Amino acid sequence: MKFSSIGYLIKEGFRSIKQNGFMSVASILVLVSCLLLSGAAYLVFVNVEAGFDYAYDQNKAIVWAVETADDQALNVLENNLRGMNNVQDVFFRSKEDTLANYAGVVGDATFESLQGEDNPMLDGFEVTFKDLALFDETIQLIESLENVDDISYAEDVADTLVVIRQTVLTIAAWIILMLLLVSLFIISNTIKLTVYSRRLEIGIMKSVGATKMFIRFPFMVEGMVLGFAAGLLSFGVLYFVYTYLISSLSLGFITLANLSTIGMLGMPVWAELLVCFLLIGTLTGMLGSRHAIGRYLKEESGVNID
Amino acid sequence: MIEFRGVHKTYDNGTKALKDVNINIDKGEFVFIVGASGAGKSTFLKLIMREEVPNAGEVIVNGYKLSKLKRREIPYLRRTMGIVFQDFRLIPTMTVFDNVAFAMRVTGASKREVRKRVPYILGLVGLQNKARNFPQELSGGEQQRVSLARALVNNPSLIIADEPTGNIDPEMSYEIMELLTEINRRGTTILVVTHEHDLVQAFSRRVIVIDDGTVVSDVAGTAEPPAASAPSAGNAVVADVLDTIQDVPTEKESDTVDAVLADIIGRNGGDEQ
Ligand SMILES: Nc1ncnc2c1ncn2[C@@H]1O[C@H](COP(=O)(O)OP(=O)(O)OP(=O)(O)O)[C@@H](O)[C@H]1O
Ligand SMILES: [Mg+2]
Repeated sequence: MKFSSIGYLIKEGFRSIKQNGFMSVASILVLVSCLLLSGAAYLVFVNVEAGFDYAYDQNKAIVWAVETADDQALNVLENNLRGMNNVQDVFFRSKEDTLANYAGVVGDATFESLQGEDNPMLDGFEVTFKDLALFDETIQLIESLENVDDISYAEDVADTLVVIRQTVLTIAAWIILMLLLVSLFIISNTIKLTVYSRRLEIGIMKSVGATKMFIRFPFMVEGMVLGFAAGLLSFGVLYFVYTYLISSLSLGFITLANLSTIGMLGMPVWAELLVCFLLIGTLTGMLGSRHAIGRYLKEESGVNID
Repeated sequence: MIEFRGVHKTYDNGTKALKDVNINIDKGEFVFIVGASGAGKSTFLKLIMREEVPNAGEVIVNGYKLSKLKRREIPYLRRTMGIVFQDFRLIPTMTVFDNVAFAMRVTGASKREVRKRVPYILGLVGLQNKARNFPQELSGGEQQRVSLARALVNNPSLIIADEPTGNIDPEMSYEIMELLTEINRRGTTILVVTHEHDLVQAFSRRVIVIDDGTVVSDVAGTAEPPAASAPSAGNAVVADVLDTIQDVPTEKESDTVDAVLADIIGRNGGDEQ
Protein backbone atom coordinates (compact mmCIF):
# COMPACT_ATOMS: atom_id res chain seq x y z
CA MET A 1 0.00 0.00 0.00
CA LYS A 2 1.46 3.28 -1.03
CA PHE A 3 1.43 6.42 1.04
CA SER A 4 -0.44 8.27 -1.71
CA SER A 5 -3.38 5.92 -1.20
CA ILE A 6 -3.98 6.91 2.40
CA GLY A 7 -5.99 10.02 1.63
CA TYR A 8 -8.26 8.05 -0.66
CA LEU A 9 -8.65 5.20 1.84
CA ILE A 10 -9.58 7.57 4.68
CA LYS A 11 -12.16 9.21 2.43
CA GLU A 12 -13.51 5.76 1.62
CA GLY A 13 -13.90 5.09 5.35
CA PHE A 14 -16.04 8.19 5.79
CA ARG A 15 -18.04 7.38 2.66
CA SER A 16 -18.75 3.97 4.12
CA ILE A 17 -20.07 5.50 7.34
CA LYS A 18 -22.54 7.59 5.35
CA GLN A 19 -23.41 4.65 3.12
CA ASN A 20 -24.26 2.48 6.12
CA GLY A 21 -25.96 5.21 8.12
CA PHE A 22 -28.21 2.96 10.15
CA MET A 23 -25.48 0.51 11.06
CA SER A 24 -23.14 3.35 11.94
CA VAL A 25 -25.69 4.77 14.38
CA ALA A 26 -26.31 1.30 15.81
CA SER A 27 -22.59 0.69 16.36
CA ILE A 28 -22.19 4.04 18.10
CA LEU A 29 -25.14 3.40 20.39
CA VAL A 30 -23.88 -0.05 21.37
CA LEU A 31 -20.47 1.33 22.19
CA VAL A 32 -21.94 4.32 24.02
CA SER A 33 -24.00 2.09 26.30
CA CYS A 34 -21.00 -0.03 27.16
CA LEU A 35 -18.79 2.97 27.78
CA LEU A 36 -21.47 4.61 29.92
CA LEU A 37 -21.74 1.52 32.10
CA SER A 38 -17.97 1.22 32.41
CA GLY A 39 -17.70 4.93 33.12
CA ALA A 40 -20.42 4.76 35.76
CA ALA A 41 -18.63 1.83 37.40
CA TYR A 42 -15.47 3.89 37.41
CA LEU A 43 -17.19 6.91 38.94
CA VAL A 44 -18.66 4.74 41.69
CA PHE A 45 -15.15 3.50 42.32
CA VAL A 46 -13.73 7.01 42.41
CA ASN A 47 -16.42 8.04 44.89
CA VAL A 48 -15.76 5.09 47.15
CA GLU A 49 -12.10 5.99 46.99
CA ALA A 50 -12.83 9.57 47.90
CA GLY A 51 -14.95 8.34 50.81
CA PHE A 52 -12.08 6.19 52.02
CA ASP A 53 -9.62 9.00 51.72
CA TYR A 54 -11.90 10.97 53.97
CA ALA A 55 -12.07 8.07 56.41
CA TYR A 56 -8.32 7.76 56.35
CA ASP A 57 -7.93 11.42 57.06
CA GLN A 58 -9.87 10.86 60.27
CA ASN A 59 -7.48 8.14 61.19
CA LYS A 60 -5.20 8.88 63.99
CA ALA A 61 -3.92 7.35 67.18
CA ILE A 62 -4.02 8.61 70.72
CA VAL A 63 -0.87 8.05 72.66
CA TRP A 64 -1.57 7.85 76.40
CA ALA A 65 1.20 8.87 78.76
CA VAL A 66 1.86 6.91 81.93
CA GLU A 67 0.06 8.20 84.99
CA THR A 68 3.33 9.22 86.65
CA ALA A 69 4.50 11.41 83.82
CA ASP A 70 5.07 15.00 84.87
CA ASP A 71 5.09 18.08 82.65
CA GLN A 72 8.77 17.56 81.92
CA ALA A 73 8.19 13.98 80.77
CA LEU A 74 5.18 15.02 78.73
CA ASN A 75 7.25 17.65 76.91
CA VAL A 76 9.92 15.10 76.09
CA LEU A 77 7.30 12.70 74.80
CA GLU A 78 5.66 15.38 72.66
CA ASN A 79 9.00 16.34 71.17
CA ASN A 80 9.83 12.71 70.49
CA LEU A 81 6.50 12.26 68.74
CA ARG A 82 6.98 15.39 66.66
CA GLY A 83 10.40 14.19 65.68
CA MET A 84 9.09 11.06 63.99
CA ASN A 85 9.11 10.94 60.20
CA ASN A 86 5.59 9.69 59.67
CA VAL A 87 3.92 12.01 62.14
CA GLN A 88 1.88 14.81 60.65
CA ASP A 89 0.66 16.55 63.73
CA VAL A 90 0.49 16.22 67.48
CA PHE A 91 -2.15 17.69 69.78
CA PHE A 92 -2.03 17.53 73.54
CA ARG A 93 -5.14 16.12 75.20
CA SER A 94 -5.17 16.71 78.95
CA LYS A 95 -7.02 14.25 81.12
CA GLU A 96 -9.43 17.07 81.98
CA ASP A 97 -10.28 17.49 78.29
CA THR A 98 -10.80 13.81 77.93
CA LEU A 99 -13.06 13.62 80.94
CA ALA A 100 -15.05 16.61 79.72
CA ASN A 101 -15.38 14.90 76.37
CA TYR A 102 -16.84 11.79 77.92
CA ALA A 103 -19.03 13.86 80.16
CA GLY A 104 -20.38 15.59 77.14
CA VAL A 105 -21.31 12.28 75.60
CA VAL A 106 -22.64 10.36 78.59
CA GLY A 107 -24.07 13.12 80.75
CA ASP A 108 -22.58 15.59 83.22
CA ALA A 109 -23.94 14.14 86.46
CA THR A 110 -22.06 10.88 86.36
CA PHE A 111 -18.72 12.59 86.06
CA GLU A 112 -19.12 15.33 88.66
CA SER A 113 -17.45 13.24 91.34
CA LEU A 114 -14.47 12.37 89.19
CA GLN A 115 -13.11 15.88 88.79
CA GLY A 116 -9.69 16.93 90.06
CA GLU A 117 -7.57 14.42 91.91
CA ASP A 118 -10.05 11.62 91.27
CA ASN A 119 -9.82 11.97 87.51
CA PRO A 120 -9.20 8.43 86.20
CA MET A 121 -8.20 9.61 82.74
CA LEU A 122 -4.65 9.92 81.42
CA ASP A 123 -2.92 12.77 79.66
CA GLY A 124 -2.35 11.96 76.02
CA PHE A 125 -1.41 13.14 72.56
CA GLU A 126 -3.56 12.98 69.47
CA VAL A 127 -1.20 11.97 66.66
CA THR A 128 -2.08 12.06 62.96
CA PHE A 129 0.01 10.24 60.42
CA LYS A 130 1.31 11.21 57.02
CA ASP A 131 1.29 7.81 55.34
CA LEU A 132 -1.19 5.19 56.36
CA ALA A 133 0.86 2.44 54.80
CA LEU A 134 3.49 2.97 57.53
CA PHE A 135 0.84 2.83 60.24
CA ASP A 136 1.98 -0.41 61.91
CA GLU A 137 5.67 0.53 61.95
CA THR A 138 4.93 3.94 63.39
CA ILE A 139 2.76 2.46 66.13
CA GLN A 140 5.60 0.11 67.05
CA LEU A 141 8.05 3.00 67.21
CA ILE A 142 5.74 4.98 69.46
CA GLU A 143 5.29 1.98 71.77
CA SER A 144 9.06 1.90 72.29
CA LEU A 145 9.11 5.52 73.48
CA GLU A 146 9.50 6.32 77.15
CA ASN A 147 6.50 7.16 79.32
CA VAL A 148 4.00 5.66 76.88
CA ASP A 149 1.26 3.78 78.68
CA ASP A 150 -0.95 2.72 75.81
CA ILE A 151 -1.93 3.65 72.32
CA SER A 152 -5.52 3.76 71.12
CA TYR A 153 -6.15 3.42 67.45
CA ALA A 154 -8.81 1.99 65.18
CA GLU A 155 -6.67 -0.83 63.86
CA ASP A 156 -9.66 -2.87 62.81
CA VAL A 157 -11.22 0.06 61.02
CA ALA A 158 -8.03 0.67 59.08
CA ASP A 159 -7.73 -2.97 58.13
CA THR A 160 -11.39 -3.23 57.13
CA LEU A 161 -11.09 -0.11 55.05
CA VAL A 162 -8.16 -1.60 53.17
CA VAL A 163 -10.09 -4.82 52.51
CA ILE A 164 -13.25 -3.05 51.37
CA ARG A 165 -11.25 -0.75 49.18
CA GLN A 166 -9.48 -3.69 47.57
CA THR A 167 -12.79 -5.46 47.00
CA VAL A 168 -14.43 -2.44 45.41
CA LEU A 169 -11.39 -1.94 43.23
CA THR A 170 -11.46 -5.57 42.07
CA ILE A 171 -15.18 -5.58 41.38
CA ALA A 172 -15.05 -2.29 39.48
CA ALA A 173 -12.10 -3.53 37.44
CA TRP A 174 -13.93 -6.74 36.54
CA ILE A 175 -17.11 -4.92 35.62
CA ILE A 176 -15.15 -2.58 33.37
CA LEU A 177 -13.22 -5.45 31.80
CA MET A 178 -16.38 -7.49 31.14
CA LEU A 179 -18.15 -4.51 29.62
CA LEU A 180 -15.21 -3.81 27.37
CA LEU A 181 -15.14 -7.41 26.16
CA VAL A 182 -18.89 -7.31 25.60
CA SER A 183 -18.61 -4.09 23.62
CA LEU A 184 -15.76 -5.50 21.55
CA PHE A 185 -17.92 -8.52 20.76
CA ILE A 186 -21.04 -6.51 19.95
CA ILE A 187 -19.15 -3.96 17.90
CA SER A 188 -17.48 -6.72 15.95
CA ASN A 189 -20.83 -8.32 15.25
CA THR A 190 -22.48 -5.07 14.31
CA ILE A 191 -19.73 -4.35 11.84
CA LYS A 192 -19.91 -7.95 10.64
CA LEU A 193 -23.46 -7.27 9.54
CA THR A 194 -22.35 -4.40 7.37
CA VAL A 195 -19.39 -6.37 6.13
CA TYR A 196 -21.56 -9.36 5.32
CA SER A 197 -23.68 -7.23 3.07
CA ARG A 198 -20.49 -6.02 1.44
CA ARG A 199 -18.71 -9.33 0.95
CA LEU A 200 -19.42 -9.14 -2.77
CA GLU A 201 -17.71 -5.77 -2.79
CA ILE A 202 -14.73 -7.23 -0.93
CA GLY A 203 -14.57 -10.11 -3.42
CA ILE A 204 -14.55 -7.70 -6.33
CA MET A 205 -11.82 -5.64 -4.74
CA LYS A 206 -9.72 -8.76 -4.34
CA SER A 207 -10.26 -9.83 -7.91
CA VAL A 208 -8.93 -6.54 -9.26
CA GLY A 209 -5.77 -6.93 -7.19
CA ALA A 210 -6.44 -5.06 -3.96
CA THR A 211 -4.20 -6.11 -1.10
CA LYS A 212 -5.67 -7.05 2.27
CA MET A 213 -4.46 -3.82 3.80
CA PHE A 214 -6.07 -1.77 1.02
CA ILE A 215 -9.44 -3.43 1.64
CA ARG A 216 -9.11 -3.37 5.40
CA PHE A 217 -7.99 0.22 5.82
CA PRO A 218 -11.30 1.99 5.10
CA PHE A 219 -13.11 -0.44 7.39
CA MET A 220 -10.66 0.34 10.15
CA VAL A 221 -11.00 4.07 9.57
CA GLU A 222 -14.74 3.60 9.78
CA GLY A 223 -14.43 1.69 13.06
CA MET A 224 -12.05 4.24 14.55
CA VAL A 225 -14.23 7.20 13.62
CA LEU A 226 -17.35 5.53 15.02
CA GLY A 227 -15.45 4.55 18.16
CA PHE A 228 -14.10 8.06 18.64
CA ALA A 229 -17.57 9.53 18.21
CA ALA A 230 -18.96 7.03 20.72
CA GLY A 231 -16.23 7.96 23.21
CA LEU A 232 -16.99 11.65 22.87
CA LEU A 233 -20.72 11.12 23.19
CA SER A 234 -20.36 8.87 26.22
CA PHE A 235 -18.16 11.39 27.95
CA GLY A 236 -20.65 14.17 27.30
CA VAL A 237 -23.58 12.17 28.65
CA LEU A 238 -21.70 11.00 31.73
CA TYR A 239 -20.37 14.46 32.49
CA PHE A 240 -23.75 16.15 32.31
CA VAL A 241 -25.62 13.47 34.22
CA TYR A 242 -22.99 13.45 36.98
CA THR A 243 -22.72 17.19 37.38
CA TYR A 244 -26.51 17.37 37.35
CA LEU A 245 -26.65 14.83 40.16
CA ILE A 246 -24.10 16.74 42.19
CA SER A 247 -25.55 20.18 41.74
CA SER A 248 -29.29 19.68 41.82
CA LEU A 249 -29.84 16.63 44.00
CA SER A 250 -29.24 16.78 47.69
CA LEU A 251 -28.02 13.30 48.27
CA GLY A 252 -27.96 13.43 52.06
CA PHE A 253 -25.17 11.40 53.53
CA ILE A 254 -23.89 10.23 50.14
CA THR A 255 -20.93 12.35 49.18
CA LEU A 256 -20.44 12.55 45.43
CA ALA A 257 -16.92 13.62 44.79
CA ASN A 258 -16.62 16.77 42.78
CA LEU A 259 -14.15 15.26 40.43
CA SER A 260 -11.53 17.92 40.17
CA THR A 261 -9.23 15.65 42.16
CA ILE A 262 -6.46 13.51 40.76
CA GLY A 263 -7.55 10.17 39.32
CA MET A 264 -5.94 6.77 38.98
CA LEU A 265 -3.63 7.77 36.16
CA GLY A 266 -2.46 10.94 37.81
CA MET A 267 -4.69 13.19 35.72
CA PRO A 268 -7.78 15.03 36.87
CA VAL A 269 -10.59 12.49 36.83
CA TRP A 270 -12.59 14.03 34.01
CA ALA A 271 -9.57 14.41 31.76
CA GLU A 272 -8.64 10.84 32.54
CA LEU A 273 -12.14 9.65 31.70
CA LEU A 274 -12.19 11.55 28.42
CA VAL A 275 -8.82 10.20 27.35
CA CYS A 276 -9.83 6.65 28.32
CA PHE A 277 -13.17 6.86 26.50
CA LEU A 278 -11.58 8.16 23.33
CA LEU A 279 -8.80 5.58 23.44
CA ILE A 280 -11.09 2.68 24.27
CA GLY A 281 -13.69 3.76 21.71
CA THR A 282 -11.15 4.20 18.93
CA LEU A 283 -9.34 0.95 19.70
CA THR A 284 -12.53 -1.05 20.08
CA GLY A 285 -13.84 0.30 16.80
CA MET A 286 -10.61 -0.41 14.98
CA LEU A 287 -10.07 -3.91 16.36
CA GLY A 288 -13.76 -4.73 16.04
CA SER A 289 -13.84 -3.94 12.33
CA ARG A 290 -10.52 -5.59 11.72
CA HIS A 291 -11.83 -8.75 13.31
CA ALA A 292 -15.13 -8.49 11.46
CA ILE A 293 -13.68 -8.45 7.96
CA GLY A 294 -10.95 -10.98 8.68
CA ARG A 295 -13.00 -13.93 7.53
CA TYR A 296 -13.95 -12.47 4.19
CA LEU A 297 -10.40 -11.49 3.47
CA LYS A 298 -9.23 -15.04 4.02
CA GLU A 299 -11.57 -16.64 1.51
CA GLU A 300 -9.54 -17.84 -1.43
CA SER A 301 -11.80 -16.56 -4.18
CA GLY A 302 -14.06 -13.68 -3.47
CA VAL A 303 -15.66 -13.78 -6.86
CA ASN A 304 -17.16 -16.50 -8.96
CA ILE A 305 -17.02 -15.98 -12.65
CA ASP A 306 -19.79 -17.73 -14.51
CA MET B 1 2.83 -16.30 -21.09
CA ILE B 2 0.29 -18.88 -19.91
CA GLU B 3 1.09 -22.54 -19.65
CA PHE B 4 -1.01 -25.44 -18.38
CA ARG B 5 0.92 -28.64 -17.72
CA GLY B 6 -1.18 -31.73 -17.08
CA VAL B 7 -3.72 -29.71 -15.11
CA HIS B 8 -6.53 -31.50 -13.31
CA LYS B 9 -9.19 -29.70 -11.32
CA THR B 10 -11.74 -31.53 -9.24
CA TYR B 11 -14.04 -29.45 -7.04
CA ASP B 12 -14.71 -30.43 -3.44
CA ASN B 13 -18.07 -31.92 -4.40
CA GLY B 14 -16.34 -34.32 -6.77
CA THR B 15 -17.06 -32.50 -10.04
CA LYS B 16 -14.18 -33.07 -12.43
CA ALA B 17 -14.07 -29.66 -14.09
CA LEU B 18 -10.77 -30.06 -15.98
CA LYS B 19 -8.92 -33.21 -16.96
CA ASP B 20 -5.29 -33.25 -18.07
CA VAL B 21 -5.24 -29.87 -19.74
CA ASN B 22 -2.06 -28.96 -21.61
CA ILE B 23 -2.08 -25.53 -23.20
CA ASN B 24 0.48 -22.96 -24.13
CA ILE B 25 -0.52 -19.41 -24.88
CA ASP B 26 2.21 -17.06 -26.00
CA LYS B 27 2.59 -13.41 -25.27
CA GLY B 28 0.62 -11.33 -27.73
CA GLU B 29 -1.80 -14.04 -28.74
CA PHE B 30 -5.55 -13.57 -29.17
CA VAL B 31 -7.42 -16.70 -28.16
CA PHE B 32 -11.09 -17.62 -28.21
CA ILE B 33 -12.23 -20.25 -25.74
CA VAL B 34 -15.46 -21.99 -26.62
CA GLY B 35 -17.32 -24.96 -25.21
CA ALA B 36 -20.62 -26.10 -23.82
CA SER B 37 -22.00 -24.77 -20.58
CA GLY B 38 -20.27 -26.52 -17.72
CA ALA B 39 -17.40 -27.59 -19.95
CA GLY B 40 -14.86 -25.94 -17.65
CA LYS B 41 -14.15 -22.61 -19.33
CA SER B 42 -14.60 -20.50 -16.24
CA THR B 43 -12.58 -22.98 -14.23
CA PHE B 44 -9.80 -22.55 -16.78
CA LEU B 45 -9.88 -18.78 -16.24
CA LYS B 46 -10.06 -19.09 -12.45
CA LEU B 47 -6.91 -21.19 -12.45
CA ILE B 48 -5.10 -18.45 -14.36
CA MET B 49 -6.31 -15.81 -11.89
CA ARG B 50 -5.36 -18.07 -8.98
CA GLU B 51 -8.92 -18.05 -7.68
CA GLU B 52 -8.73 -21.83 -7.76
CA VAL B 53 -5.74 -24.16 -7.49
CA PRO B 54 -5.30 -27.36 -9.51
CA ASN B 55 -5.35 -30.78 -7.87
CA ALA B 56 -2.58 -31.91 -10.17
CA GLY B 57 -0.34 -30.30 -12.75
CA GLU B 58 1.05 -26.80 -12.93
CA VAL B 59 -0.25 -23.46 -14.11
CA ILE B 60 2.45 -21.00 -15.11
CA VAL B 61 1.69 -17.32 -15.74
CA ASN B 62 4.38 -14.85 -16.79
CA GLY B 63 6.96 -17.45 -15.86
CA TYR B 64 5.63 -17.82 -12.30
CA LYS B 65 4.45 -21.21 -11.12
CA LEU B 66 1.19 -20.27 -9.44
CA SER B 67 1.55 -23.14 -6.95
CA LYS B 68 4.66 -21.38 -5.62
CA LEU B 69 2.91 -18.04 -5.28
CA LYS B 70 2.46 -16.80 -1.71
CA ARG B 71 -0.93 -15.59 -0.56
CA ARG B 72 0.17 -11.98 -0.25
CA GLU B 73 1.58 -12.06 -3.78
CA ILE B 74 -1.76 -12.92 -5.35
CA PRO B 75 -2.98 -9.30 -5.58
CA TYR B 76 0.13 -8.45 -7.59
CA LEU B 77 -0.50 -11.33 -9.98
CA ARG B 78 -4.04 -10.10 -10.53
CA ARG B 79 -2.87 -6.58 -11.25
CA THR B 80 -1.03 -7.89 -14.29
CA MET B 81 -4.33 -9.00 -15.77
CA GLY B 82 -7.51 -7.17 -16.66
CA ILE B 83 -10.60 -9.26 -16.16
CA VAL B 84 -13.98 -8.68 -17.74
CA PHE B 85 -16.61 -10.55 -15.80
CA GLN B 86 -19.63 -12.14 -17.35
CA ASP B 87 -21.80 -10.61 -14.62
CA PHE B 88 -19.83 -7.34 -14.57
CA ARG B 89 -18.87 -7.44 -10.88
CA LEU B 90 -19.18 -3.73 -10.40
CA ILE B 91 -19.20 -2.24 -6.91
CA PRO B 92 -22.79 -1.02 -6.51
CA THR B 93 -21.96 1.83 -4.12
CA MET B 94 -19.39 3.40 -6.43
CA THR B 95 -19.96 5.50 -9.52
CA VAL B 96 -18.80 4.31 -12.93
CA PHE B 97 -15.79 6.58 -12.58
CA ASP B 98 -14.85 5.19 -9.16
CA ASN B 99 -15.37 1.61 -10.24
CA VAL B 100 -12.86 2.03 -13.01
CA ALA B 101 -10.60 4.19 -10.88
CA PHE B 102 -10.58 1.58 -8.13
CA ALA B 103 -8.46 -0.78 -10.21
CA MET B 104 -5.93 2.04 -10.57
CA ARG B 105 -6.09 3.08 -6.94
CA VAL B 106 -5.23 -0.40 -5.66
CA THR B 107 -1.93 -0.04 -7.47
CA GLY B 108 -1.24 3.23 -5.66
CA ALA B 109 -1.86 5.44 -8.67
CA SER B 110 -1.90 9.16 -7.91
CA LYS B 111 -5.02 11.32 -8.08
CA ARG B 112 -3.65 13.07 -11.12
CA GLU B 113 -3.02 9.85 -13.01
CA VAL B 114 -6.51 8.63 -12.16
CA ARG B 115 -8.14 11.85 -13.32
CA LYS B 116 -6.26 11.73 -16.58
CA ARG B 117 -6.59 8.06 -17.41
CA VAL B 118 -10.12 7.10 -16.37
CA PRO B 119 -12.00 9.53 -18.63
CA TYR B 120 -9.82 8.44 -21.53
CA ILE B 121 -10.66 4.76 -20.99
CA LEU B 122 -14.36 5.53 -20.48
CA GLY B 123 -14.20 7.35 -23.81
CA LEU B 124 -12.74 4.27 -25.47
CA VAL B 125 -15.76 2.19 -24.47
CA GLY B 126 -18.18 5.01 -25.23
CA LEU B 127 -19.20 5.80 -21.65
CA GLN B 128 -17.72 9.27 -21.17
CA ASN B 129 -21.18 10.63 -20.34
CA LYS B 130 -21.95 8.02 -17.70
CA ALA B 131 -19.00 8.63 -15.38
CA ARG B 132 -21.16 10.00 -12.56
CA ASN B 133 -23.81 7.28 -12.80
CA PHE B 134 -24.08 4.28 -10.52
CA PRO B 135 -24.01 0.77 -12.01
CA GLN B 136 -27.71 0.14 -11.34
CA GLU B 137 -28.55 3.17 -13.46
CA LEU B 138 -26.94 1.57 -16.51
CA SER B 139 -28.15 -0.98 -19.04
CA GLY B 140 -26.59 -4.44 -19.05
CA GLY B 141 -24.43 -3.58 -22.04
CA GLU B 142 -23.25 -0.38 -20.45
CA GLN B 143 -22.32 -2.19 -17.26
CA GLN B 144 -20.39 -4.70 -19.29
CA ARG B 145 -18.45 -1.90 -20.92
CA VAL B 146 -17.63 -0.46 -17.49
CA SER B 147 -16.27 -3.89 -16.59
CA LEU B 148 -14.22 -3.79 -19.78
CA ALA B 149 -12.98 -0.29 -19.02
CA ARG B 150 -11.84 -1.43 -15.58
CA ALA B 151 -10.01 -4.35 -17.17
CA LEU B 152 -8.22 -2.01 -19.57
CA VAL B 153 -7.38 0.85 -17.28
CA ASN B 154 -4.10 -0.49 -15.89
CA ASN B 155 -2.76 -1.40 -19.31
CA PRO B 156 -2.47 -5.05 -18.32
CA SER B 157 -0.31 -7.47 -20.24
CA LEU B 158 -3.16 -9.97 -20.24
CA ILE B 159 -6.87 -9.44 -20.69
CA ILE B 160 -9.29 -12.18 -19.72
CA ALA B 161 -12.86 -11.71 -20.84
CA ASP B 162 -15.62 -14.12 -19.84
CA GLU B 163 -18.47 -13.53 -22.30
CA PRO B 164 -17.65 -9.85 -22.78
CA THR B 165 -20.31 -9.43 -25.41
CA GLY B 166 -23.07 -11.42 -23.78
CA ASN B 167 -25.37 -8.46 -23.14
CA ILE B 168 -24.45 -6.30 -26.05
CA ASP B 169 -26.12 -5.87 -29.41
CA PRO B 170 -24.18 -7.29 -32.38
CA GLU B 171 -22.98 -3.91 -33.54
CA MET B 172 -21.51 -3.03 -30.16
CA SER B 173 -20.08 -6.53 -29.86
CA TYR B 174 -18.09 -5.99 -33.01
CA GLU B 175 -16.92 -2.65 -31.79
CA ILE B 176 -15.71 -4.19 -28.57
CA MET B 177 -13.98 -7.01 -30.37
CA GLU B 178 -12.36 -4.45 -32.65
CA LEU B 179 -11.20 -2.62 -29.58
CA LEU B 180 -9.74 -5.81 -28.14
CA THR B 181 -8.10 -6.51 -31.50
CA GLU B 182 -6.55 -3.07 -31.46
CA ILE B 183 -5.28 -3.62 -27.92
CA ASN B 184 -3.95 -7.00 -28.98
CA ARG B 185 -2.14 -5.36 -31.88
CA ARG B 186 -0.16 -3.40 -29.29
CA GLY B 187 1.07 -6.61 -27.73
CA THR B 188 -1.49 -7.43 -25.06
CA THR B 189 -2.43 -11.09 -24.72
CA ILE B 190 -6.18 -11.61 -24.93
CA LEU B 191 -8.38 -14.52 -23.84
CA VAL B 192 -12.05 -14.39 -24.74
CA VAL B 193 -14.68 -16.88 -23.70
CA THR B 194 -17.67 -16.59 -25.96
CA HIS B 195 -20.73 -18.31 -27.27
CA GLU B 196 -21.06 -16.08 -30.29
CA HIS B 197 -19.91 -18.04 -33.28
CA ASP B 198 -20.29 -14.98 -35.52
CA LEU B 199 -17.52 -13.29 -33.59
CA VAL B 200 -15.27 -16.33 -33.60
CA GLN B 201 -15.86 -16.51 -37.30
CA ALA B 202 -15.30 -12.89 -38.09
CA PHE B 203 -12.02 -12.58 -36.24
CA SER B 204 -10.31 -15.78 -37.38
CA ARG B 205 -8.18 -16.18 -34.28
CA ARG B 206 -6.89 -19.16 -32.39
CA VAL B 207 -9.81 -21.19 -31.03
CA ILE B 208 -9.55 -23.55 -28.06
CA VAL B 209 -12.53 -25.83 -27.67
CA ILE B 210 -13.13 -27.31 -24.23
CA ASP B 211 -15.60 -30.15 -23.88
CA ASP B 212 -16.38 -31.85 -20.59
CA GLY B 213 -13.14 -30.70 -18.98
CA THR B 214 -10.90 -31.69 -21.86
CA VAL B 215 -9.34 -29.59 -24.59
CA VAL B 216 -10.72 -31.24 -27.71
CA SER B 217 -9.49 -28.75 -30.25
CA ASP B 218 -6.89 -26.04 -30.46
CA VAL B 219 -6.60 -24.36 -33.80
CA ALA B 220 -4.35 -21.48 -34.67
CA GLY B 221 -6.02 -18.48 -36.22
CA THR B 222 -5.25 -17.04 -39.59
CA ALA B 223 -5.55 -13.45 -38.62
CA GLU B 224 -2.21 -13.49 -36.84
CA PRO B 225 -0.30 -11.44 -37.45
CA PRO B 226 -3.20 -9.15 -38.21
CA ALA B 227 -3.50 -8.93 -41.96
CA ALA B 228 -6.11 -9.20 -44.65
CA SER B 229 -5.67 -12.92 -44.89
CA ALA B 230 -8.17 -15.12 -46.65
CA PRO B 231 -10.57 -16.30 -44.00
CA SER B 232 -11.68 -19.30 -45.97
CA ALA B 233 -8.37 -21.09 -45.62
CA GLY B 234 -8.40 -20.75 -41.86
CA ASN B 235 -11.99 -21.73 -41.71
CA ALA B 236 -11.25 -24.90 -43.60
CA VAL B 237 -8.69 -25.91 -41.01
CA VAL B 238 -11.04 -25.15 -38.15
CA ALA B 239 -13.79 -27.06 -39.84
CA ASP B 240 -11.47 -29.99 -40.26
CA VAL B 241 -10.70 -30.17 -36.59
CA LEU B 242 -14.21 -29.46 -35.52
CA ASP B 243 -15.37 -32.36 -37.63
CA THR B 244 -13.42 -34.68 -35.42
CA ILE B 245 -15.13 -33.54 -32.25
CA GLN B 246 -17.32 -36.28 -30.93
CA ASP B 247 -21.02 -35.62 -30.55
CA VAL B 248 -20.93 -33.12 -33.33
CA PRO B 249 -23.34 -34.27 -35.94
CA THR B 250 -21.37 -34.30 -39.12
CA GLU B 251 -24.15 -35.18 -41.48
CA LYS B 252 -25.82 -31.79 -41.80
CA GLU B 253 -24.01 -28.85 -43.36
CA SER B 254 -20.78 -29.84 -41.71
CA ASP B 255 -18.87 -28.83 -44.75
CA THR B 256 -18.91 -25.23 -43.63
CA VAL B 257 -17.28 -24.11 -40.44
CA ASP B 258 -20.12 -21.70 -39.84
CA ALA B 259 -22.49 -24.54 -39.53
CA VAL B 260 -20.30 -26.61 -37.27
CA LEU B 261 -19.63 -23.70 -34.96
CA ALA B 262 -23.27 -22.76 -35.05
CA ASP B 263 -24.08 -26.29 -34.12
CA ILE B 264 -21.72 -26.45 -31.18
CA ILE B 265 -22.49 -23.01 -29.96
CA GLY B 266 -26.21 -23.33 -30.58
CA ARG B 267 -26.23 -26.52 -28.53
CA ASN B 268 -24.25 -24.89 -25.77
CA GLY B 269 -26.59 -21.95 -25.68
CA GLY B 270 -29.44 -24.40 -25.29
CA ASP B 271 -27.73 -26.14 -22.38
CA GLU B 272 -27.48 -22.92 -20.52
CA GLN B 273 -31.19 -22.34 -20.26
N1 LIG C 1 -17.15 -23.88 -7.01
C1 LIG C 1 -17.56 -25.02 -7.61
N2 LIG C 1 -17.83 -26.09 -6.86
C2 LIG C 1 -18.21 -27.23 -7.43
N3 LIG C 1 -18.38 -27.41 -8.73
C3 LIG C 1 -18.13 -26.38 -9.54
C4 LIG C 1 -17.72 -25.12 -9.02
N4 LIG C 1 -17.55 -24.26 -10.05
C5 LIG C 1 -17.84 -24.96 -11.16
N5 LIG C 1 -18.19 -26.22 -10.86
C6 LIG C 1 -18.53 -27.28 -11.80
O1 LIG C 1 -17.43 -27.47 -12.65
C7 LIG C 1 -17.85 -27.67 -13.99
C8 LIG C 1 -17.21 -26.64 -14.89
O2 LIG C 1 -17.72 -25.36 -14.52
P1 LIG C 1 -17.31 -24.01 -15.25
O3 LIG C 1 -17.89 -22.89 -14.47
O4 LIG C 1 -15.86 -24.01 -15.45
O5 LIG C 1 -18.08 -24.15 -16.62
P2 LIG C 1 -18.16 -23.12 -17.85
O6 LIG C 1 -17.54 -23.78 -19.01
O7 LIG C 1 -17.65 -21.82 -17.46
O8 LIG C 1 -19.74 -23.03 -18.08
P3 LIG C 1 -20.61 -21.75 -18.58
O9 LIG C 1 -20.42 -21.66 -20.05
O10 LIG C 1 -22.00 -22.14 -18.24
O11 LIG C 1 -20.15 -20.57 -17.85
C9 LIG C 1 -19.37 -27.60 -13.96
O12 LIG C 1 -19.87 -28.93 -13.92
C10 LIG C 1 -19.69 -26.89 -12.68
O13 LIG C 1 -20.90 -27.35 -12.16
MG1 LIG D 1 -18.46 -19.88 -17.24
